[in-house]
Amino acid sequence: MRKIITILFLAILGYYMVDLMNQIPFGEDRMNVGRHYLENTIAETGSVNTVTSIVVSYRGFDTLGEVTVLFLAATGLGAILFDKRGKKRRKQNASSLVKTTSKLLYPLIVLLGAYVFVHGHLTPGGGFQGGAIIATGVLMMYMSYRRFETNHKALTIIESMAGLTFVSIGMGGLILGQGFLANFLPLGEPNMLFSAGIIPIIYSAVGFKVGAELTGVLDTLLKTIR
Amino acid sequence: MIYYITSIALILIGMYAVLVKKNLVKMIIGLSLVDGGLHLLFIAIGYVDDATAPIFSKEGLSAAEMVDPIPQALVLTAIVIGLAVTAVALAIIIRLYDHHKTLNVNKIRELKW
Amino acid sequence: MNLNFSPVHFIAVPLFAAFLLPLLGRISQKLVTLVPGIVLLYLSAVALTLFPQAYNEPIVEIIAGWRPPFGITLVFGPLAAFLVTMITLIGFVVWIYSYRFIIRAPLEKYYMLFMLLIAGSTGIILTGDIFNLFVFLEITAIAAYSLTAFLRDHNGAEAAFKYLLIGSFASAFVLLAIIILYANVGTLNMADIAVRMGDVPAKIKLTIMILFIVGLGIEAELFPLNGWAPDAYSQAPSPIGAVFAGIVVKAAVYALMRVLFTLFDLPTSSHFLVVMGTITLLIAEMSAMRQQQIKRMLAFSSIGQMGLVLVAFGLGTREGIAAALFLMFSHAIIKTLLFFSAGYLVFFSGFKNISDLEGVGREKPWTGFFFSLGALAIIGLPPFSGFWGKFYLLISAANASHIFLIVLILFSAVIEAVYYLRVVGRLYFKKLHDIEIRRTPFTGLLAMGILAIVTITIGVYPDFIYELVLPAADELLDKAAYLQYAMMGQ
Repeated sequence: MRKIITILFLAILGYYMVDLMNQIPFGEDRMNVGRHYLENTIAETGSVNTVTSIVVSYRGFDTLGEVTVLFLAATGLGAILFDKRGKKRRKQNASSLVKTTSKLLYPLIVLLGAYVFVHGHLTPGGGFQGGAIIATGVLMMYMSYRRFETNHKALTIIESMAGLTFVSIGMGGLILGQGFLANFLPLGEPNMLFSAGIIPIIYSAVGFKVGAELTGVLDTLLKTIR
Repeated sequence: MIYYITSIALILIGMYAVLVKKNLVKMIIGLSLVDGGLHLLFIAIGYVDDATAPIFSKEGLSAAEMVDPIPQALVLTAIVIGLAVTAVALAIIIRLYDHHKTLNVNKIRELKW
Repeated sequence: MNLNFSPVHFIAVPLFAAFLLPLLGRISQKLVTLVPGIVLLYLSAVALTLFPQAYNEPIVEIIAGWRPPFGITLVFGPLAAFLVTMITLIGFVVWIYSYRFIIRAPLEKYYMLFMLLIAGSTGIILTGDIFNLFVFLEITAIAAYSLTAFLRDHNGAEAAFKYLLIGSFASAFVLLAIIILYANVGTLNMADIAVRMGDVPAKIKLTIMILFIVGLGIEAELFPLNGWAPDAYSQAPSPIGAVFAGIVVKAAVYALMRVLFTLFDLPTSSHFLVVMGTITLLIAEMSAMRQQQIKRMLAFSSIGQMGLVLVAFGLGTREGIAAALFLMFSHAIIKTLLFFSAGYLVFFSGFKNISDLEGVGREKPWTGFFFSLGALAIIGLPPFSGFWGKFYLLISAANASHIFLIVLILFSAVIEAVYYLRVVGRLYFKKLHDIEIRRTPFTGLLAMGILAIVTITIGVYPDFIYELVLPAADELLDKAAYLQYAMMGQ
């Protein structure tokens, strides 16, 4: 009975939504503020990746919020599972093929992650993607080596320091009189690694933070499940 | 249009899972599906016919032939938020499972729903 | 160099503190409890310094140096100044109360979540950007989920899960509304959206409005979307219950009103607000009568008061909105006081039921006194601030010639009197059960004393606050002026 009511409700909702989306033609150029970003990104921020210039510079405040949300998730997880920490993980043994491959790939994955977040202003990618890649590498190690451990204290410290760096850079802009999170470094030449002012610095901080946080979350969850 | 319909379908499937399924983890999977559908919908809205990614990675690319960058930037934020909610939800589920030894929502309801 | 106070501090400083706390936790636990207090004291100082400025001329803070509509702005007008000051002051009192109330590990996690909750709710109020509002709404919500489950008992986890499920639906609706909005106007600054809103077809406009009302209404405890509230309020630690009633819900109501008043033309939604507010009020007050647990009763009473606030906003007149803001302020103070005292009453008896509190008032004169004072204030008896909130609402209802509303307000006051006096009666006129009585720490009494003094002071000099809420009401009504300064004259 409940299923039927739900399906009916969702069918009405779905019909209404499709009907609504019909009025918003697909693939049409509706850009308004977006056009300004596309045309001015290189001149104003020095970043050739428009998405990055929006995420870190034009809407940098959103990104600060986003970093906070991740931090919040890690903190909340730690608070809720506080007394369940420190248990030994289940001993699982992967085959030696998996082990050897993981060992080979692990440094490469971490390197790729670092590459992705350092080049966030040049190529598709950035701090969140890079951090997520690093955390995947760690997850792979967790799954193949039963004795693999991460240093929890170090993770917390990296997390905090990266967050503090982000807010401090923001406050730096405020104190130098250009507004919170404003760029105060030279923009440099577009398409070079050292360009785009504070964007690579912020994205590196974000990369460290996301990598440490996701690793921490994985670690907490793995150690609570018996 | 197919992109719109697919993402709306994802949203509806997710909502169905949240409303009907009894297993806590399946409800959370439903939530993630709703989120995923919303993100796809947002990206689809930013698409412009015959346009390319908004990155000036080589010479000769003009701003006129690029898709709207804003939805992509916003979806990045939205994905992270969805991930955070999922992580907290899983922690709460671990707590609940610890006490009740079950994931069935009908057997857990002690407070009034 | 620019070391002046700026509205950014309201968000940046608590965030900085939250990132710093884990490091401080390695040095000393004492620092972990002290730093949040210092931060909140600092924020109160910032709020009080910027207050007169905002009333003279709204402060618009540009983030990252990009002018609207390209960057994100913080808009610190009279309304925001009023609410932010309220939030920081209540946050400070909550910190005083928590100082000796939260003694269980992990302390630093509690204060980190608390700081982020404050940053999130002030962010909701300050931001001038619709997507940024969504981000701050989520920060507040996720911190609230985690804090609900902070005591780590299974009831807390269950309440948190319920809250999380409903809250995630809310955020999905808000996000969907933002997506459709963006597809039609192509911009995210709220003032810019309001300017371009005229070109949007009426049907799409209505859909967006419904999605916003559903999504934000869940956080603002609008009927029938408030199922999470009683559980979350009663299962969270007492200071957090007070934070929900005093801070989180107020921020959510602000978000709803900002969206309805600025993005949409009011007449379409005002009747709806009155009707929904009335239903919320009646159902919540009826449910409050039937509650056995004191905190659940407070939660339903809080929902009822929010219904009253919505009705007052729905009147749509200057006096009505001023009354709504006055009610919000007065309710934030009184409900925080009630949660604080109820927290220790429950703590003494060790039970959450009202029937277990018999005679505790005679044994614990101060805590019982503060609870009774809060109860009298929220019913709306004269020398307290609660009286004036309801009085202004009655006047504005009479001016708008809504006889039905006058009856409704008086009727709800009678119901409130019944269930609050029932508890107060039990506190004093029944014999004490054989239970162990524990001491109330000084900080707890101090926090309650401050709030009690504030509610009496405002009760004696209501004009002081009323003078402050009138310009705030003007800000909400005068859309053209908001557009003018939020777009920085462009």
